[in-house]
Amino acid sequence: MARVLFDHVTKRFGEVVAVNDLNLEVTDGEFLVLVGPSGCGKSTTLRMLAGLDAITEGSIYIGDRRVDNVPAKDRDLAMVFQSYALYPHMSVGDNIGFGLKLRGASKSQVRERVERAAETLGIEELLERKPRALSGGQRQRVALGRAIVREPEVFLLDEPLSNLDAKLRVQTRTEISKLHRRLGTTFVYVTHDQVEAMTMATRIAVLNLGLLQQVGPPQELYERPANVFVAGFIGSPSMNFFQPVVRSEGETLRLDMHGLSIEVPARWVPGLLPYDGRPIVLGVRPEHIHDPAYLPSGVLPASIRATVDVTELMGNETFLHLDREGTRFLARVDPRTQATPAQEAEVVIDVSRMHAFDPETEQRIEAQAAPAEASGTEAVS
Amino acid sequence: MSLGVPVPAREGRPALGYWFRATWARLPLHAAVIGFAVLWSVPTVALLISSFREPSAIASSGWWTATVDTLTLDNYRTVLDQRGMGRSFINSVLITLPATALVVLVASGAAYAFAWMPFRGRGLLFLVVVGLLVVPLQMTLIPVLRLYAAMTVNEELPLLGGNVFGINSFTGIWLAHAAYGMPFAIFLLRNFFSSLPRDLIEAAKLDGASEWQVFWRIVLPLSVPALAALGIFQFLWTWNDLLIALVLLGDPDLAPMTLRITNLVGSFGSSYQLLTAAAFISMALPLVVFFAFQRFFVQGILAGATKG
Amino acid sequence: MLGRRWWVPWLWMLPALLLLATFLVYPGIDTFRRSVLDARSDGFVGLDNYQAIIENPNPLVADTHSALANNAMWLVLFTAVTVPLGLVLAVLTGRVRYEAAAKSAIFIPMAISFVAASVIWRFMLEFNPSVGTVNAVVTEFGGQPTAWLQDTGAPQTWLTERGPDEIPGPVQLNNLVLITVGVWMWTGFALVVLSAGLKGISTEMLEAARVDGANEWQIFRHIIVPTLRPVIVVVTVTLLINALKIFDLVWVITGGRFQTDVVATLFFKQSFINRDFGAGAALAVVLLLAVVPLMLLNIRRFQSEEAA
Repeated sequence: MARVLFDHVTKRFGEVVAVNDLNLEVTDGEFLVLVGPSGCGKSTTLRMLAGLDAITEGSIYIGDRRVDNVPAKDRDLAMVFQSYALYPHMSVGDNIGFGLKLRGASKSQVRERVERAAETLGIEELLERKPRALSGGQRQRVALGRAIVREPEVFLLDEPLSNLDAKLRVQTRTEISKLHRRLGTTFVYVTHDQVEAMTMATRIAVLNLGLLQQVGPPQELYERPANVFVAGFIGSPSMNFFQPVVRSEGETLRLDMHGLSIEVPARWVPGLLPYDGRPIVLGVRPEHIHDPAYLPSGVLPASIRATVDVTELMGNETFLHLDREGTRFLARVDPRTQATPAQEAEVVIDVSRMHAFDPETEQRIEAQAAPAEASGTEAVS
Repeated sequence: MSLGVPVPAREGRPALGYWFRATWARLPLHAAVIGFAVLWSVPTVALLISSFREPSAIASSGWWTATVDTLTLDNYRTVLDQRGMGRSFINSVLITLPATALVVLVASGAAYAFAWMPFRGRGLLFLVVVGLLVVPLQMTLIPVLRLYAAMTVNEELPLLGGNVFGINSFTGIWLAHAAYGMPFAIFLLRNFFSSLPRDLIEAAKLDGASEWQVFWRIVLPLSVPALAALGIFQFLWTWNDLLIALVLLGDPDLAPMTLRITNLVGSFGSSYQLLTAAAFISMALPLVVFFAFQRFFVQGILAGATKG
Repeated sequence: MLGRRWWVPWLWMLPALLLLATFLVYPGIDTFRRSVLDARSDGFVGLDNYQAIIENPNPLVADTHSALANNAMWLVLFTAVTVPLGLVLAVLTGRVRYEAAAKSAIFIPMAISFVAASVIWRFMLEFNPSVGTVNAVVTEFGGQPTAWLQDTGAPQTWLTERGPDEIPGPVQLNNLVLITVGVWMWTGFALVVLSAGLKGISTEMLEAARVDGANEWQIFRHIIVPTLRPVIVVVTVTLLINALKIFDLVWVITGGRFQTDVVATLFFKQSFINRDFGAGAALAVVLLLAVVPLMLLNIRRFQSEEAA
């Protein structure tokens, strides 16, 4: 068990900067998820930690050991690959025990620990089989077994669920979480799927274009995304963005767009005051846009009329694809909604859950912490 | 598919009719394939049948007139009784097996470096090695001969015979065969090795494997088809080689089958019955090797021909 | 890779590089040197040896013009016949259930030594029509028996009874016969490699083409050939190199007599029989230079593969 520290780590492939000045600490026992779109540098980060790619600048520490030039085989890490990378010519048992054998464990030791790992994962029956005789889910378990049997200081997992079908993925997700809790070891997990990140991580690090965007617990990333990228990336379906102009009206501020005018809740006023007369980026999650007929409590409503393009019935909820003067957005409303495609419908934005971003820097504009009072917010069509 | 609509059961007659039509349509295909196979086999079959015929029969009538009761093993007896024939078969084995093993071993080490160890100038060096594929073998013979003449150790090699090194030595001809086979061997193996999944190599490294352990425990076991294909090729080439043996092995005691038969051609002139038997004896082992391992051929060559 | 010392890859390649340097690189350089020296490699003669190749001063001892022309015939005809034949056979054999047997029959000549092949073909081409298979067939159809390996006339000779002088040198019957034997030996190689490539073409793509209404010829022409192009290039380049370097087959069947010499056999004669090392080396250099464009082609292909 150990903490991991990235200290000003940069990786360049020729002219391309894959990871740019990464500073990140993974504390002991943490489940850190590196998430981002493909090409964001998350896999490179993991591979540098594993010792599979050299770092161009900076240092990486595992525990207190600086490992910049330590070869992969001496780092005491275990990794689960996206492809599982099972040795096709070895039985499951030999696959799991290979690392122990190379490290000079005795035959009986290897057998005992392989059996224990297999038991943990429920694959005792498969030890004699070859990988090609296994199902995808079973292979995935063997790959996990190969990692846990070594009892490494840090576990690395590179998109380990992406080759599983949807149902198995959900199931394995919880199993990996359980495994982490039981082992108490540091996990570093790479995925492009923000749902995996949200459900498993103790902390998430969001990367984009080689730059670390934000690190924090899942809930924090959801509630206070640091910039437009994180706001759009975390949460499913993605956040809607609008480009209103800030306009002061006496003591209050209003956001004007598409003939709408929304009053800014009081706690946002200090942050938005400098933007008076300028546009900002307004973010609203689909789950914070409601059908007025089924408003939950505690909503600070601002109503909008828009044309319904498509309705997607999910059973427990309905997605409305809406269009207001060419701006498309998505609402996630109560399934009892009466909205029908090609007709106008009225929906209500919960302004208390809005996000505001600077249009230039795309950074978050902070609101004051105090809960918003239910003062008069209205919308004028 | 809508349920409840009865699907007409397929009857036997139309299916049979269809089968006949399909077979008729494929008749030209079968004729072409069988025709080529037969055409390609005729020379070999002719040799095989003739090798069992009486000398007088061979000289006066075609192999196609032979009947089973006129066949005899005499030719094989005569050939095998020739002084040095048995020895030359053993020589062929003694030359071929170690030379083949040497090529596979040395080339796989180099191919592993070319496939999995990035280093400066790797691409260029590989191109040079593959480029050597086109050097005409005959061209190298004189310099090598001179080199060998200078380096010949005139003492008898224990167990195998011949000189310890240089001209008239097994060690010398092993190295020569290994070197001449090297460009192709490195080319084939490097292509196969680099088609192995990168993840496997990296997983092994994370499992704590050294370069040697990755090579020995992961790369080689997974490359059996390519190694076998290379082994077969190399075996056939070395076994069938005449030129290198001609130049480097002057000593008749060390001569392989090919050299011995060539000499027979000279001394027997047109005594076909003995030549046919001798030729067939020399073909026996390569054919056995080829048929025993032919399934590897396809997989192994494919990897060499198209980069995976 | 991290933590690997720079010399580690070189250590892995060392045995292979040593062999290549000793047996291929050094002799190559030495041959260049020798090609500008006299017969005994004593005195510098400039480009005299090359001039002799062009001027052909001694056609009865070493007919360089005939050798160059024959080699050109080999290069063009051998490749132009073997590759398409291998491709067609690969497609045809892939459609019958006895594919493995048919392919083996065609591949077997590959496993036979040139020496054995020479015995086989001298026997096949024997002049006496009651013994020689080919002449037996020719006389059966009313033709005249032909001395296939000795006849330097144009192939029209036995068809139209026109004189050999009407067709220029290289189109001589015995050379064409030798090339035919080459085709017989190498078609199996082309077949096996191309067939392996063929197996790599996704059946879905072929099915899609059939659904789009393509007939079998259109599929062959517009799907199979373009998709197989890389493999076809490999086979073609390999065969071209083989055709340029062709030695054994000619040497063991005719020994280069009756104007069947190619550059490699003439080189061998000059160096080892006529003992004129300078003349031999110059021929070897010509051969190597002829191969260079092929090598560049190989390199280009390899680089584009690397980039892909």
